[in-house]
Amino acid sequence: MIPNNLFLSIQTSAAIVSLLGAILVVCIVLFIIGTSSVDEEKHQAKGKVYKLRVKYFYGLMAAIVLLLFFTMQTLPYFKHKTTRSDEVVTVVGAQWAWKMDHGTTEVKAKEFEGLNDITLPSNKVIQFNVMSADVNHNFAIYNDKGDIVAQTQAMPNYTNHLQYTFEERGEYHILCLEYCGMAHAYMTGSIHIE
Amino acid sequence: MTSILNPTELKQQRRLLVIWCITFLIIFPFLISLGLMMRMNQGGLADLPPNTFYSYMTMHGLGMAGILFSITLGAANYLISSRYVKLKIGFQYFVYFLILIGFLTLIFATIIGGFAAGWYVLYPLPFIGASWPAWSTALTTVSLIVLGVAWLLGSMHVLLALAKRYGGFSRLMGWNYIVGKTPDEPLPPMAMIATVALVPAVLSFLSAAVFLVMFLFQYFEPSLAFDPLFMKNMIFFFGHVIVNITMYLAVGWVYTLLPEYSKRDWGVDRIFAISWNGSFIFIIFAYLHHLYMDFAQPSGLQFAGQIASYLSAVPVTVVTMFGVIGQLYHSKVKWTMVPFVFLLGTMGWAIGGFAALVDSTIYVNKVLHNTLWVPAHFHTYMLAGVVLYIFGFLYYFSTPEAERKTENYSKLGIWIYLIGVYGFLLMFYLGGMNSVPRRYDKYVGITVGDVQSTGMLLARIAAYFVMAILAGLLVMYVSLITRIAKKFNE
Repeated sequence: MIPNNLFLSIQTSAAIVSLLGAILVVCIVLFIIGTSSVDEEKHQAKGKVYKLRVKYFYGLMAAIVLLLFFTMQTLPYFKHKTTRSDEVVTVVGAQWAWKMDHGTTEVKAKEFEGLNDITLPSNKVIQFNVMSADVNHNFAIYNDKGDIVAQTQAMPNYTNHLQYTFEERGEYHILCLEYCGMAHAYMTGSIHIE
Repeated sequence: MTSILNPTELKQQRRLLVIWCITFLIIFPFLISLGLMMRMNQGGLADLPPNTFYSYMTMHGLGMAGILFSITLGAANYLISSRYVKLKIGFQYFVYFLILIGFLTLIFATIIGGFAAGWYVLYPLPFIGASWPAWSTALTTVSLIVLGVAWLLGSMHVLLALAKRYGGFSRLMGWNYIVGKTPDEPLPPMAMIATVALVPAVLSFLSAAVFLVMFLFQYFEPSLAFDPLFMKNMIFFFGHVIVNITMYLAVGWVYTLLPEYSKRDWGVDRIFAISWNGSFIFIIFAYLHHLYMDFAQPSGLQFAGQIASYLSAVPVTVVTMFGVIGQLYHSKVKWTMVPFVFLLGTMGWAIGGFAALVDSTIYVNKVLHNTLWVPAHFHTYMLAGVVLYIFGFLYYFSTPEAERKTENYSKLGIWIYLIGVYGFLLMFYLGGMNSVPRRYDKYVGITVGDVQSTGMLLARIAAYFVMAILAGLLVMYVSLITRIAKKFNE
């Protein structure tokens, strides 16, 4: 099981890895340009590159297998089936507001009544049952520092189950991350963790 | 390179390509200007009404994907028809005018009509809560159908001509190379790559046709309702494939033209054939990574999305990128505009592709999905990859044959462009890293952490870099447009 954050947030780690990748690519390009004036018989030069290519191929395949193995240990899709939730919250996205309430609901998404803020306990497994009353939305939870910690789409006709455990008390914020019309950028909500 | 066409036929093909190039050179900066307005609005340097912002966003996205694919198809048509198999010039003009009509109506529907559902017209948004008139939804749908039909016909035309010339689909896919039977007449890389790109393209246009016709049904009968997850799959299949194969078609001419500068062979062999057959499969399945946050999607498809996305890096890097290195390493190549820009385009593709791979990891996507990281990677792929390949082609086409290995045009324009592009992209990546959402007309509604101030600051800086992109293009245009226009009467 990979935790959400090792030393840095996933976002920062992704940025560092991408930056290192970009630096490596630029270095290769500079090397090619810098050494291109060397005169070498074409088959010999290509031979050297293709020899390196074989090693690269095996290295890449090994990296892909390892990365697939480790990153697929923690997927957001099955948690609600494998882990018991301490609390269930119904969430409905509607142009342009979030409606939330404790517990499950029997009413249709369009008729669901709820508020755009909710209070939930810390260190408890919370399951959000996320739906939409109209178009596609995206229920994204931000911590107080402004980092996304979890998200799922809110789709008409479907319920997406998102499980998350809030480890820190305080304010969390909800933004819509799927373009849903004119007031998309103002479709917000809050979660108070106590 | 000798042409298979007689001088008259070659002149006809050249003229059509000149028309394509000029069309691209006009539409491209226009669409960048829409992007500039969007970043200025997000940065507080402009104040567009929300509907105007989102209609610009819609036109910018649809227009860019459309014009880049169209010019790439036009350039591939020219190379294929002048070197490998004759294509019907009248039919090519028909496709060109259909595309032009599609573009003009799309501009009318979005910029004038205000249609603003985004490039992906994500069902059912065009029909629910729309702030634009219903006729602009209908006109956008019709213009996309016109474009789709034009691209479908243009792609089928190339595929059928190639299949007739090289003995069918299996030959074009290089299956005889895979089983160890090298044909007497070697298959040109462009022919195989065009097949690998255009067959999925045809499938994607058919997918688009289905969902667009469903849109029309709903337009005329509003009580209808289709499954949103099914529609989303169709839309992203179309959108992902068209962007993906635009790069591959452009790579086709890199394979064709770079050896003229490096003086090294670069042909189809067994590894090449296996690799591009792999790409064929990965093109079709990689789109699934767009739906990672749709938890209702069958989980097998989510796994397939990550696996296909990861594996797509294998043929691309092992064969194409190592191939470029093999062409240029210790080659004594003279760094004239064409090989220089092709190498830079490959660099941009690698950088953008790597950032895409990072985001195609479900574990990472759960916090980067629909942040500015997403436009960051595909703008890298496009602006620092595909567009540079296109400019490489334009410089090749507009340079007289005798001067191709000696010319050394001022690279000032391309350097200004590159500074603009990488500065602009960096702001997107930093935005993604800081959880700034994409597709927001303004950030003022965000009250969490520093997301609002970070988003606005990055957008302002990005806007200045976009101006540098436009300035770089202007410098390039000064000489390029005259040179391309001269080809019309050659």
